[in-house]
Amino acid sequence: MSNLGKFAIVIIIVIIVLGILSPLISRHPHNLPSGSALESPSWEHWLGTDDLGIDIWAQICHGARASTFVGAGTALLAGVGGSIVGMLSGYLGGDSDRIIMRISDMAMALPDMPTTIILGAFFGPSLKNIIIAISLYSWVAPARLVRSKVLAIKEENYMKAAKSYGANFWHMTKVHFLPQVLPLIAVSMIRLFSKAVVVEAGLSFLGLGDPTSKSWGVILHHAINFKGIYFTEYWKWWLVSPVFIMMSFTTSLAIISRELERLWNGKIEWI
Amino acid sequence: MNRDRTKMLLGYLLTFLIIITLNFFIPRLMPGDPFTSLSSEEGDITVIYSEEQIERYKRYYGMDRPIAEQYIGYLKNLLKGNLGYSIYYNQEVVSILKNRVPWTVAIVICSLIISSFLGTILGSISAWFRNSKLDKILYISMVFISEVPAFLMGILLLFFMAGRWGLFPLSGGMSMFTQYSTKCEVILDILHHAILPVMTLSIAKLGEFYLISRSSMLSVMSKDYMKTARGKGLKSRRILFRHGLKNSILPVITRIFLSLGSIFGQAVLIENIFNYPGIGTLMRQGVMVRDYVLIQGIFLFVAITVLTMNFIADLIYKKLDSRVR
Repeated sequence: MSNLGKFAIVIIIVIIVLGILSPLISRHPHNLPSGSALESPSWEHWLGTDDLGIDIWAQICHGARASTFVGAGTALLAGVGGSIVGMLSGYLGGDSDRIIMRISDMAMALPDMPTTIILGAFFGPSLKNIIIAISLYSWVAPARLVRSKVLAIKEENYMKAAKSYGANFWHMTKVHFLPQVLPLIAVSMIRLFSKAVVVEAGLSFLGLGDPTSKSWGVILHHAINFKGIYFTEYWKWWLVSPVFIMMSFTTSLAIISRELERLWNGKIEWI
Repeated sequence: MNRDRTKMLLGYLLTFLIIITLNFFIPRLMPGDPFTSLSSEEGDITVIYSEEQIERYKRYYGMDRPIAEQYIGYLKNLLKGNLGYSIYYNQEVVSILKNRVPWTVAIVICSLIISSFLGTILGSISAWFRNSKLDKILYISMVFISEVPAFLMGILLLFFMAGRWGLFPLSGGMSMFTQYSTKCEVILDILHHAILPVMTLSIAKLGEFYLISRSSMLSVMSKDYMKTARGKGLKSRRILFRHGLKNSILPVITRIFLSLGSIFGQAVLIENIFNYPGIGTLMRQGVMVRDYVLIQGIFLFVAITVLTMNFIADLIYKKLDSRVR
């Protein structure tokens, strides 16, 4: 793995640790004022305070929690769920395969942001519901990848041999499918992770996300809607810090997924 | 061949019907209703409407009838091109959409043209000078650009180019309360407002088109006819455009149609950043005030547009590429 890839992994680990240990790392509460309004960065408030006097460093750390929760939740739900669907679809073939592919065509045709907005409004925009809403259309990518790989494996001679010995679905999955499919699942889960973080931030930025979650998008929403943000100096810490942390998070995830693709060299064809 | 096409058409029609059905049921399952959205507590009814008034309105909008009857009525209205009446704007949904859709379509089309054009050129150049310094710099910067979330890019552009430096207007699609002396000024004003949203969307899509065109050009360049062309002593510019580009453009064209889904999604966010008067801002407003009919109309419009474009992409691909038959 290249140095860039290692660096990206370090950034992701740091951000996740920030989220988990947020009450220990930040000295101030993320939801209560701890200084006067709009202070510039100082030893006391590392990234200054917002218009209510709430410490921005504490908000960023706490926001990492909400954002990584949504990302990990979506990666697990859509990644694992989609992979299982894809594996079944490829293994069973025939009519069930055709029906599943038809459904995935439909899910793929849905424009992601409008659909999330509508489903989020329909379920109520809590973090859990946002995870479900994003998963409803993003399970397609892992499902299709896994399906096409399983279809390819099924044609191999050793699979025919295994079948003639009477190997059942579980045995074949455990011994043949999973080891070959796992890299694909891992890479698509990383992609889902970063996609979900971005979609949640976008939703919160519109003011349609979970207002109590205090994710990075919510910080950004408050910063850009603050009346004086354009002609004062406050943007230097209030606006830049959530933008910076989100950019480094998403680019790091992208670098990691590209590195893994290159390492495994498993000619991953993205659909 | 013909049988394939009817099968495809049937598949798309089925998808249409399912989306229409979902579109009908989802808002009816949403929590809250327009009568309670103004009050702060869940289930609390605002003082503005009395119980009788609510009953009357429910009857007026047909909310008191059985759900199957409502569904059939909805389908009938759709066939007539009637998307219903917006509760919040007090106007036909179709006429609201008519005012808003051109703005969105304009920025989406402009940015698709710009990003596909620039992306193809840069991708071809990159493939032509493969493994040179130029190629590496282009490749890395395009990969980076394609990974930055579009709305963060939009915020940065808005903040610096419009907010700090004042090069472009902060929000809206036209200047308010101004007198224009000529038609030309109106057009310039609209263009001036559209530059930032179009720029954001183009940057967001540029990397995708660059990568596709680069890899397509690379595979074309390894073909025998390219060697023949070079052996004939043709000028390299002629080889690049006549032989290379003509054969490598197909994936780019289909991608233009296929990416309409994602670009509409991004346009929803980006319109809200720049407060652009398209359907994205309308959608946010509709969700905020829980205007079912309006949300349904917008979603239906977006879904049908995207599906139609996917269908066209399928057709074009089959027509242009004789290998897919």
